[in-house]
Order: sequence, then C-alpha cells, then structure tokens
Amino acid sequence: MYPLHPVTGEEVTYAPDGTWDGVAVEVARHVKGARDLRASLMGLAYWVASGFGDRGVLVLLDPDMTPERIRSEERLARETLRADVADRLHVAVRMGESYVGLPDGLGAAFQAWLGGLVQSETGRLLPRPPSYFVVLGVLLHEWLLDREPRTTKWLMESTGYSYPTVADALDRMGAFLTRSSDRRVQLTDDFPRLEWERLVMASDDVRSTIRFVDRSGLPRSPEKLLQRLRNLNRKDVAVGGAYGARHYKPDLDLVGAPRLDLSLHAPGRTADLDFVRHLDPALEESADRREAAGLVVHLVRRAEPFFERGDDGLLVAGPVECLLDLRELRLESQGDELLAWLRQKRLPS
Amino acid sequence: MNEPALSPGVVLAQVAAALPEDCRDNVIIVGSLAAGYYFFRDDGEAQVRTKDVDCLISPHLTAVQKGVTVADRLFDAGWTIRREGTFTEPGTAETPEADLPVVRLRPPAEDGWFVELLGAPVPGAGEGRAFSRLETRHGHFGLCSFGYLALAEERPVETPYGVHIAHPAMMALANLLHHPGIGGERMSGFIGTREIKRSNKDLGRVLALAYLTEAGGEEVSDWTDRWAEALQNRFPDRWRGLAARAGSGVEALLGSPSDLDEALHTVNTSLLARRPLSVEALRVTGLRLLDDALRPLAERAEADA
Repeated sequence: MYPLHPVTGEEVTYAPDGTWDGVAVEVARHVKGARDLRASLMGLAYWVASGFGDRGVLVLLDPDMTPERIRSEERLARETLRADVADRLHVAVRMGESYVGLPDGLGAAFQAWLGGLVQSETGRLLPRPPSYFVVLGVLLHEWLLDREPRTTKWLMESTGYSYPTVADALDRMGAFLTRSSDRRVQLTDDFPRLEWERLVMASDDVRSTIRFVDRSGLPRSPEKLLQRLRNLNRKDVAVGGAYGARHYKPDLDLVGAPRLDLSLHAPGRTADLDFVRHLDPALEESADRREAAGLVVHLVRRAEPFFERGDDGLLVAGPVECLLDLRELRLESQGDELLAWLRQKRLPS
Repeated sequence: MNEPALSPGVVLAQVAAALPEDCRDNVIIVGSLAAGYYFFRDDGEAQVRTKDVDCLISPHLTAVQKGVTVADRLFDAGWTIRREGTFTEPGTAETPEADLPVVRLRPPAEDGWFVELLGAPVPGAGEGRAFSRLETRHGHFGLCSFGYLALAEERPVETPYGVHIAHPAMMALANLLHHPGIGGERMSGFIGTREIKRSNKDLGRVLALAYLTEAGGEEVSDWTDRWAEALQNRFPDRWRGLAARAGSGVEALLGSPSDLDEALHTVNTSLLARRPLSVEALRVTGLRLLDDALRPLAERAEADA
C-alpha cells in the first residue's frame, strides 16, 4: 500500500526501502545500466517531491556501471529534475565496508542503520537448521580431530544455541555420548556411524545447500574459481569438497574435481551470496538437481565456523563439511578413505 | 544481405599473394576475417561470413604512398572495382576528397567478397573519419581512416603470408571506444533478414571476440594490460578518459534487451555461426568482460590519475 500525494490525492506508486530521520533510502543491487539507475532515481524523486522525505539517497551495490557513467547519469538527472528536488537527491556507491557519495552530516548512527538496511535487502532469509544436527556436527568435528571433551558452555558458544537447546541435543545423543566426571562431553570412541548417516541424509537442510550452474556455455574450472576466491580475500568463505579434503589428507585418491564446493559462514538469519557473482557472473542459482552444478555453496550456521588456513592461504572448511561434500559428490570411497585416515590418527601410536 | 562463407586462411593467402611484396608488411587485416583467422586458423573447415576484407595500410606516414602501390598492383593483377551504391567509378583530380570512392576491389573471377583499403590515422587523431587522396593510375580514390583504428596497429599478429592481422583485443577496444552508447544509426543493409543498429553490430562483435577468446583457452582478463599499453601509446594525452569510458557501450547494451537481441542476431549469423549462443550466454559474456577486463582498465586509469 503506497501513500497518497498530499496535494493531488493520487497514490504515489513508490516507497523507498527504508527511511531514517527524513532520509529516504533506496538500495539497488547490480544496476545494469542507465535505465535501471534512472528508474530508481525517479522513484526517489517522486517520494521527495511529494513531501514524504527531506532527502533521498540511492545506494548502489555492485553496479554493473563504471563510476564515471554513474556520475554522468546522476548529473543528467540533476539537470532534468526541478532544482529543489534534484538538490535533495544523492547517489552513493558501496565500496567495501563504506559508502562513497552519501550526503554530509548523516553521522555514524545513519551508517549503522544503513548497514542493517543493506543487510536486510541483500541477505537471503534462512530457515533455522535442525539444532540437533548442528550440535552433532560440532561434536563430530571435535571427534575427528581428536580433541578433548567439551563443556556445555563451550558447545553453546560454538553453536550459538542456548543451554536448553544444547542440553536437549545432548540428551538425544544418549548412547553415542560419554560424559566425564567434570560433566564435559564427547562422542564415544566408536565412530557413531548411524548418526553420521542421519547427518548425511539431512545435510541439504542442515547446510541449506545452494547450487549454481554456468550459463555462459564456457564453464570456468574450479581452479579458476579458486583463483578468484583468493583475490576476494573473504574471511567467511572456505573451500570444501575435494580441495578441502586434500588439506586433511594430501594423498587422497582424487583426480580433478567436477565442481567447487564452498562453505559460507552464515550464523545469523541471512546469508549474503553476492560473492558468487564476483567469482563468475555466469553462475546462476538453480534448484534443478539434474543440472550439473559448477559451484555449490553450503552454509555453516553455527557460531564458530571451524575454518582452517590452508597452505596456499585459502580458508578450508572443517573435516565434517569436507566429508559431507564428498558424499554429496558421490565420492564415497574417497570419503571413506578420508574418514578412515582421520580415525586412524585418533589411535594412540 | 547474405554474406558468403569464406575460409580465413585461403582468403588471407589470396590477398597476401596479390599484394606487392614490399607492401605486405604494411598491411594489417582487420574485421571479421582477421578475427576468423585468429580463432579458427587451425580448423580447416572453419568459415567466416563476411564480404569485405578490410586492409589497414600502416603506418600513417607512408599510408598514402603504399596505398597507391597496393591499389595499382591489384588493378594490374585483374582486380576490379566493386560497383555498388553511389560510388561506381573512380574519382578525378577535380573530385573533392570527401566525395572520392574508397578502394573496394574484387579479385578476378570472384564475386562474393572484396578488399577495402583503409589508412592508419594521424597519431593521436580524434574520433571522426578522415580522407586522404590516392592518385592511382586507374583514377582517384579516398583512403579512409578512423581515429581508433590506430589501435589495430598495436602489436598486430604475424601470419605466414607476410601480412599481419589485428589482435582481437585491439579490434574490440576500437569498437568499444567507437560506441560509448547505443546510437541510432542503422546498417545500410540487412543482416540476415533484420535491420540492425551499427552500434549493436559492433558491440556484439566485441562480445563475440571475448567469447571466442575464452573458448580458445585465452583469458579476456589479459586484455587489460594490452589495452592500457595501447591507449598510453596511441593516446597519451587522453588515455585515462578513454579507459574510464571504454565499458559504457557494453553496459548500455546489456541494459537494453532489444539491443542485446540485435547484437545476438548479428554474432550468431557471423563469427559465431557455427556455435550460436543464447541471449543469456551473450549477456554473461558481457558481464565477464566488464568484470575481468573493462573495470580493471578503468580502475587502472583512475589509480594513475
């Protein structure tokens, strides 16, 4: 429902994405050209001209236009619009964590609000993962790396869950769990194969797996995508799949990889998959499992991602993620080989 | 206009053989045939749909002298004027330069294609066209040059026939600079069954060159270095501005579905006829070109400012 113009009474068929103390903000992603830019600016101009806002700010995220062209279009719009409207319109571009082109005097509070607005506009709202499997995943990670038993508090911090949620999950594990005298917990020495298989079955839901397919006809190799990932220098994206598995067992019997598996740390309710576009704009999300995916992104929903720095500088997903990826890739024998090797490492020498 | 399918290597060899030996090194083939030869030279069955073989006479300093030599030699070898449109006869000493016909010659016993002579522009020349008079033994002609054609002279690719071909990156950049947006001018003839805007044809060509580059195992990201070097060499006073706006035409094309469709039609009936693309594939080829080559070029110019 749009508001009515105070003078004409007509419906103003536009509403900005957010308003902060009289500043109307429109967030536009991947603006492709002058036409998109003009449409967004015109909406804001309606809004400001109708008296609903003191100022209007168009915030561009990763525009498909050069800075010069953006400024040129802004200049043209200013020349075309009524001066009292044009003077109150601004175009800002997100550059990393900051914004270039914001009007002066808005301050840090506005910046913080804008950050939240951008997040809500760009992030994908995620369903809650089954908490039992998230807790199980953490315990499996600790088991595979032969770590010490953990306290409930540590599990709460690692998963981001409350005490009742973690306690409930631990209760459900029952026979697969051992509790030490100081109440710390770990999985039993026998690998909990049954629970592992249940996690494999639930993997897509637990990790909100998203598949991307090439639309160019010239798919980029996983190696090329990795090269680009390295340039992005993201701290919330780690390599899994065959590449990640080799981090844990370099001589793993794997020749090439049909696709790239990445783990994205998304502990909140949203996930920003925008980085995929920077890996390759030809990658498009597909829900059709019959299409061969060139990139698969798995979300790590717990508070601690358990990413490790690999020898080549890239972050590597935890062993649980890598094992799940191998299973999804139908590389069962390689998955079994990695699992057997990790189990072997647990044995006292 | 239904364009004939030519074998790039065969035509290149035929053109080179007809040229005076001391002029071959001054000829750079540009356009479809050059692109076809670059990408398909190892594929004996590959053909390029084009009717004109554009020969750039380089460098500017000797272009007129060499142009006269080339034209006379081709006439002597039996090549004949391609009579079409308003230019049917050679000019005379009285014909104003701007009204002179360009040199368009058909090889003997060949009706499908013709050679067109172009001249290397004055160093640093602007965007417009310029004509120089060629006083041949067979009449007066105009040697046409365009400012951005100078880019074709940058590190051209050698061929075994003695002539050079322009590097695809340079042909792409010349087209990009020539079309900072979608212009209204339409091609004089039809492409297939459709009337096409010149900018859509030329910008579509840019995307086809980018696609074929990647398909051939090279990377368009390597174009950035070539482009920056060429712009600095050819346009030292204004290279930053040119670099900053080089991507605007592709941006405009990708933002206009109807223009992108015209570009798709053009490339699928010419350079990509053997492997037509979907509109989505052409679009993401453009996005990759922007991400991998054009934005880095603009950033480099900005950093250098």
